[in-house]
Amino acid sequence: MRFEGRCWRFGDNIPTDRLVKTQHVLEPMDVIVQHVLEDLNPDFPKLVRPGDIVFAGKHFGQSSGRAIAAKALQATRIGCVVAETFARTFYRNCFEIGLPALEIGINPDLAADGDRVRADLASGEFTNLTTGRTARGAAADPFLVDMLDAGGLIDLAKSRPEVFR
Amino acid sequence: MNLVEKILARASGRPSVEPGEIVVAKVDRLIMHDLSGYLTSQVFEKRVNTPIPDPTRVVMVFDHHYSPPTEQQANVLQHNRKWAAKHGITLHDCGNGNLHHAAVRNGHIKPGMIVVGSDSHTPVHGTLGALAVALGNDSHAGTVLPYGKAWFKVPATVRVHLEGTPNPGVTPRDVALWLVGRIGEGELNYRAVEFAGPYVRELSFWDRWLFPLLCVDLGAKCSFVEPDEVTEAFVRTLPGGAAPELLVRGDGDEAEQVLRFDVGEVEPQVACPPTVGNVKPVREVAGTPIQHAELGGHGGGRLEDFRAAAEVLAGRTVHPGVRFNLVPSSREVFAEAAREGLVLALHEAGATWFPPSTGSNQAYNMGALASDEAMISTHARNFPGRNGSPDASMYLASAATVAASAVAGVITRADDERGNA
Repeated sequence: MRFEGRCWRFGDNIPTDRLVKTQHVLEPMDVIVQHVLEDLNPDFPKLVRPGDIVFAGKHFGQSSGRAIAAKALQATRIGCVVAETFARTFYRNCFEIGLPALEIGINPDLAADGDRVRADLASGEFTNLTTGRTARGAAADPFLVDMLDAGGLIDLAKSRPEVFR
Repeated sequence: MNLVEKILARASGRPSVEPGEIVVAKVDRLIMHDLSGYLTSQVFEKRVNTPIPDPTRVVMVFDHHYSPPTEQQANVLQHNRKWAAKHGITLHDCGNGNLHHAAVRNGHIKPGMIVVGSDSHTPVHGTLGALAVALGNDSHAGTVLPYGKAWFKVPATVRVHLEGTPNPGVTPRDVALWLVGRIGEGELNYRAVEFAGPYVRELSFWDRWLFPLLCVDLGAKCSFVEPDEVTEAFVRTLPGGAAPELLVRGDGDEAEQVLRFDVGEVEPQVACPPTVGNVKPVREVAGTPIQHAELGGHGGGRLEDFRAAAEVLAGRTVHPGVRFNLVPSSREVFAEAAREGLVLALHEAGATWFPPSTGSNQAYNMGALASDEAMISTHARNFPGRNGSPDASMYLASAATVAASAVAGVITRADDERGNA
């Protein structure tokens, strides 16, 4: 599972409330996606392209456990989300909805906006192709990789119900 | 094994489990509020839509709304009511209090249970000795509702050992806020956090509640206080009473790490914008103007909070530039506040009572702020964009500090406010 794309850099401790603001939670996804992270970078929802990679700092996606924040990020059609560390509900939700996520440990200056970057979930390797710098995070648990391969938790449970019976 | 490991082993049908293992375990309760219930029901209906084999395990509490202000929000609640009725899900409608308090007060949570929900403060039920974990909507829709099960990675446990004697005027919430600042947001990522030590043992049930409440800000998966005679006595007061066969206790020292703190070092604290981890002594931000003060939210609106406010407000009134809003966490708390005379005392001091709910949490029903306004409250969150303008400021503090600030019109320590009177 390897992803390569243009980097969007975000900071530390970004809560789900900044991915999806309160006033948009009950809106349809085509409205929500126009506002994802706009308070932190107004260009992001306007200029993000399919296959881009979001690279955030520490404890990304803290606050609400609702999957809607991860779903909003997925709806921008980014290839994957990378963070130094994730809030655990956000990390869990990414795999459950089928959005690849890689945690690489604390590496604050590894990549900047616009750098070309590569993330490999199987090996945990993250490469900044623009600067040549690399970092190695933990490879995703095989159970989570299976979940991604199935398309997310609901599809996994449908295709392998014996796991949950 | 410790409490978390024992509960996960029993619920997954294994003799034992170890940190790092992934298990599929039987879930005893799924608790949802009006927003998470809505989002979960939509995923469930669109993508799963099977019968729910055991709907008695599923509880929904409308707490972000006590009375919908828009047609869109009325539709959300109506959708939830129909969905709950269709499947036989237990519903506590508007006015019954905050999700977590209402779930406990109505006897839905017992020691030893596995409790899940989307609300990120779900781990607070570890105060009863339950294993309580926040999961996303797709877990609920995909496995908890159709199969009564969820997947869990067994967490490593960190014990936070609290000892020492707090200084006068320092409340358990000050200690809890201080710990978030000391340990750091996200620093206990994926861990289970046990709160232990003589300080914790001596706290009442509802003061202990403030500690597992904060574990999400440390990044933890779950949190617990080892059940003892305080837990048992509290559980006996709940509908359905005690369930002694469910009571689980750990075998001893199964912590990966022990963090020790002396609560004697703590002075009154306030979490400042923009995150819960930006904790400072109150004196460092004293004098900051506030226009809104609130006792409410997942950790607030307790009887203890209203008693503390009444003590601060005795013989004083709310500052004319401040709206001081009181939101009981449950109907039981409001009834008890009425019996103790707190309802009239705080009303006459200029505060305003709101229906039992989660109050200004995300401003669905109340508490939106203009860009140049500030609120101090007992809420659990202060992220920009949650309550109206992303430029508004939200401060989190103890009930005593909130009440003192409501009197002064600026952030103030309760002991300073008494000195000024």
